[in-house]
Amino acid sequence: MGGTRIAYHLGMIFRRYGTFTGGIDLPDDKRPTLDKPIAVWGPIERLRVPLAPCGGTPAESVVEVARHVQAGERIARSAGGGVDIFAPLSGRVAALSWAQVAAGACLAACPAIELSDLSQMEGIAPVEEREDPREESPQALRDRIAEGSLMTCHPRPAALAQWVAKAHSKRCRVLIANVMENQPMVTANHRLLVEYGGEVVRGLAILGRAIEVGELILAVDERRTGDYRRLVQPTRRHHVKRIALSHKYPTGAEAILAKILTRREVPPGRSLLEIGVGVVDAATCLAVYRWVAAGIRQTARVVTVAGRVERPGNYYVPFGTDCMAMTGGADVPIIHGGPMVGLRCGDQGVVGPATDAVLAVETCRFAAPGPCIRCGWCTDHCPARLNVAALNDDFELNLVERAHQAGALACVECGVCSYVCPARLPLSQRIKQLKQAIGLLRKRMPLFASG
Amino acid sequence: MSLEAEPLPLQRVDAAAEALCTCVAPFLRAPERQRTIFLVTFAAACTPLLAGVVLFGWRALAVAGISILSCGLIERLCYGVTRVPALSGRSHAYLTGLLLALTLPPFVPWYVPVVAAAFAIIVGKAVFGGVGHFLWQPALVGRLAVAVLFPVIMNNPTPDKPENLGWGPILAQSKLVVGDVTVNGRVPEYRQWRYTEPPEGKDAFLLRPPSAILAGLTNARDPAFSALAFVPADVPQARPAALMKLPPINDLLYGGRPGGIGETCAIVIIVAGLYLVYRNYVKWQLPLSFLAAAACVVAVGPVQLARANDTVLSVWWPVLSEGPDVGFIYICCQLLSGETMLAAFFLATEMTSRPVTTGGQVIFGLGCGAIAMLLRLYLEAPIPSYMAVLAMNTFVPTIDTLWRPRVLGRPFFWRWRRHD
Repeated sequence: MGGTRIAYHLGMIFRRYGTFTGGIDLPDDKRPTLDKPIAVWGPIERLRVPLAPCGGTPAESVVEVARHVQAGERIARSAGGGVDIFAPLSGRVAALSWAQVAAGACLAACPAIELSDLSQMEGIAPVEEREDPREESPQALRDRIAEGSLMTCHPRPAALAQWVAKAHSKRCRVLIANVMENQPMVTANHRLLVEYGGEVVRGLAILGRAIEVGELILAVDERRTGDYRRLVQPTRRHHVKRIALSHKYPTGAEAILAKILTRREVPPGRSLLEIGVGVVDAATCLAVYRWVAAGIRQTARVVTVAGRVERPGNYYVPFGTDCMAMTGGADVPIIHGGPMVGLRCGDQGVVGPATDAVLAVETCRFAAPGPCIRCGWCTDHCPARLNVAALNDDFELNLVERAHQAGALACVECGVCSYVCPARLPLSQRIKQLKQAIGLLRKRMPLFASG
Repeated sequence: MSLEAEPLPLQRVDAAAEALCTCVAPFLRAPERQRTIFLVTFAAACTPLLAGVVLFGWRALAVAGISILSCGLIERLCYGVTRVPALSGRSHAYLTGLLLALTLPPFVPWYVPVVAAAFAIIVGKAVFGGVGHFLWQPALVGRLAVAVLFPVIMNNPTPDKPENLGWGPILAQSKLVVGDVTVNGRVPEYRQWRYTEPPEGKDAFLLRPPSAILAGLTNARDPAFSALAFVPADVPQARPAALMKLPPINDLLYGGRPGGIGETCAIVIIVAGLYLVYRNYVKWQLPLSFLAAAACVVAVGPVQLARANDTVLSVWWPVLSEGPDVGFIYICCQLLSGETMLAAFFLATEMTSRPVTTGGQVIFGLGCGAIAMLLRLYLEAPIPSYMAVLAMNTFVPTIDTLWRPRVLGRPFFWRWRRHD
C-alpha cells in the first residue's frame, strides 16, 4: 500500500487510464500466493509432454521408447503448422500416452510423450542483456522467433511465429503486455513481472520490434503498481508506456483492454489483430526474451498453485507435469486456469503453455438452476453490453440466427453473467455454445448466416 | 513396445456435477440467489404493511395474512396439478400475496383477498408457466379482478350512507379511526382535517379520499373544488379552494388518509424502496422516471376552473398559472395521495414484468407514470396507477426488443437498426 502511494506521489510512474461500462469487482483472493517468490516445482516423477500444446495436428515423435533424452532436446517434429516439442528435463522416454491440455475453449486430449527417470528441475536463471534488440532487423528477429518454436500463452496457445507473422501482415500498430490478472487467486504473471520484470520488458520490446509496432504498452493492475517500481528503468529505455488500470473484472479481457487503451473496438467475431492491436502476456514476453537473448527453449512456465492444496505458491513448472499431482490429491475439483474462465481438470490434465494456475477450489453445490427471473444483472454487468437475458431466451428457443444478429459473437467469455446470475443459470456456457453454433452455421450455410 | 498409443479411456464426468453445471466456468458464484431476492423484497414490503397495521388496525393484518396464505396454498395446488417446476418455490407466491394485500383496502370481507389471490396465482402466474414467465404483475392481476368483481366493496363508501360506514376508514387528523360513528360516546374522539368544517349537525363524518378531491379538479362536475388555492372573485357561490379541502401534506406523507393497506404511508414506501435500490434489486431510474412522468403530466394537464354563469374554463399548465408554491403543493398532493408511490417502488419494479435494460426501464417508467396520471385525472379509473402498470407490462417484450445497448464493436446506430 505504501509503495502504491509513493509511486503515485513520485510523478505518476504508472499512468492511470480509463475504464469501461459493466464488469464487477471480484473478491481479491490473492493473499496466500501474492508475495511468494517463484520456486522450482519438484520432485517430479514423470512428465507427459503434450505433442499438440496449441491444439491442431499433433507433432510427430522422433524419439523411441526407452531412449534417454537430454533437456532441451527435440523429441517431436511439427506437423502441419504446429510447433516442435522439446524435452523439458533429461530423462528416459517411458511410453507414448495421452494427456489433456488446455487449447482454447476446452481441455483437448492429445498424444503425449511420457518421460521418467527425470533430472532435477532448474530455476529461471537470469539472462544477461546481450545486445539491444533495436539494432537487429525485424526480419531477423522474426526468423529467430520462428526458429525457437515458441508459443503464445494467453488466452489460447498458438504458435508464436505464426501470430507474429499475422500481426506484421495486418500492420499491427499497438502491442499491449497484459499483466492485469483480475481473476481471484492467480498471481503467476504478477510474480513474473516483480521478479523478472526487466526481462519481460525486453521481451516485449523484441516482440514489438519483430512486429514493427509503433507503440508498446505495459498494462498492470493499479493495486500492484507499488511492486513494479523496478520496471521504470527498462520501460524508459525501451519506450514502453506504463499504464495502471482499475481492478474491475474483466479489464484483462483482450477486447476490453484494447477498447480502454486504444478506443478501438473489435467487430464481433473478428480477431483483435484486425484492428491493429496485439495483446501478449508476461509469460510469452519472458519466453521470447530468453530464447532470443540466450537460446533457452520454452519448456516450462510459471504456474500459481492455490486453493486447498498442500503447497500453495508460484512455481516454475515444466510442460507436461500432472495437474492432479500438483494439488497433492485434493478431494475438491481441480481447475486448470483461473476460477472465472478456467476449465475443470480431469485425471489426464497436464500443464501446458496456457496454464497460468492450477487451483483446487471448493465449488459451491447449488440447487438445480431455476428459471430466469429477468433481474437483468447479467445485462448490467456484461462488459460487451450484450443483452444476456435475451440471448438466454434465444438459447432456450434454439434461435441461433437471432442470437447472431444480437451480436453474440462479441462475447468476451469472461463469465461475469454466470457469476452474478441469481438463478444459477450457466449463462456463460450457453453463450459459448451459441457462438459455436453460429460458427458452424457460417461454415456450413454461409448464405443463410450472412449477418 | 509399439509407438501406437492406447486410446484414451472415456473420462468419467461426475453426472451430478454436470447436471448442476459445476463443471463449467466460472467456479465462483455471487452469494445472491433468487430466493434471497424474493425474501428481501418480502421483508422490505413488510414495512408498508406494518404502517398499514398501525394506521388501520388489526384488520389490515388479517387481510394480509389471508392473502399471503391463500397465495401460497393456491400455488401449491397449481403445482400439484400441473407439476410445472417454476411453480414449486413458494417464496415468490408469498411475495405476491403480500404485494396484493398492500393494494387492498383494509376493510374488505374475507373472501375478497381469497378471490384476488386465486386470480393472481392462476391467471397471473400459473397460466404463463410460473416464476419468470408471466407477462403481467400477478398481484395487480388479482387486484384488477376484484376491482371488477366487487366494485361496491372496493370503492370507498360515500359519506352520506350510514350503512356503508363499516367499509371504509374514518379520517381524523393524523389518525385513522374505525368504528361505529353513531355511538355517541366516541364522538369526541373523531376529528377532521384542519381547515375542514363538518356538515351541519354532525360531529364526525367520512371525508372523501384526497385522490377523489383532486380528480374533481379536472372534471368540472364539482365547482366547489374548481380552484386550487384561491376563491375566484367572480364566482360568488364558490366555496374555499381545493387545497383547503385536502389533508395537510405531511399527513399525506405519513399516511393519514384513506386508501389501501400499504398505499398510504408514503415515507415508509420511499425508505423501503430506497433499500431495494441499495440492494440493487431495483434500479433507481425506474421509480424516478415513473414519478417524474407523473409529475410532468400533473404540471401540464389542464385543470378546470368554475367561472360565473356556470361556465368552465380549462387552464393548461396549472403549475404556472397558480404559481410555483401552490403548484409544488399540488404536484406533491397528486403524487402522494393515490397508489402511485406503491406502484412506483414495489409493483412496477417486479423483475419479471419490467424491461431488462436500464433504458428500457426508463421508457417503461415514463409510460407508467404518464398513463397513471392521465387515467386518474381524466378517466376516473378506480385504480389508475395499477392499471397503468398492467398496461405497460403488456409492452415489455416490445420495449425489450426495441431498446438495446450498443454491443461492443458495433456502430452507434446499430441499436436502432431493424434486424429481421
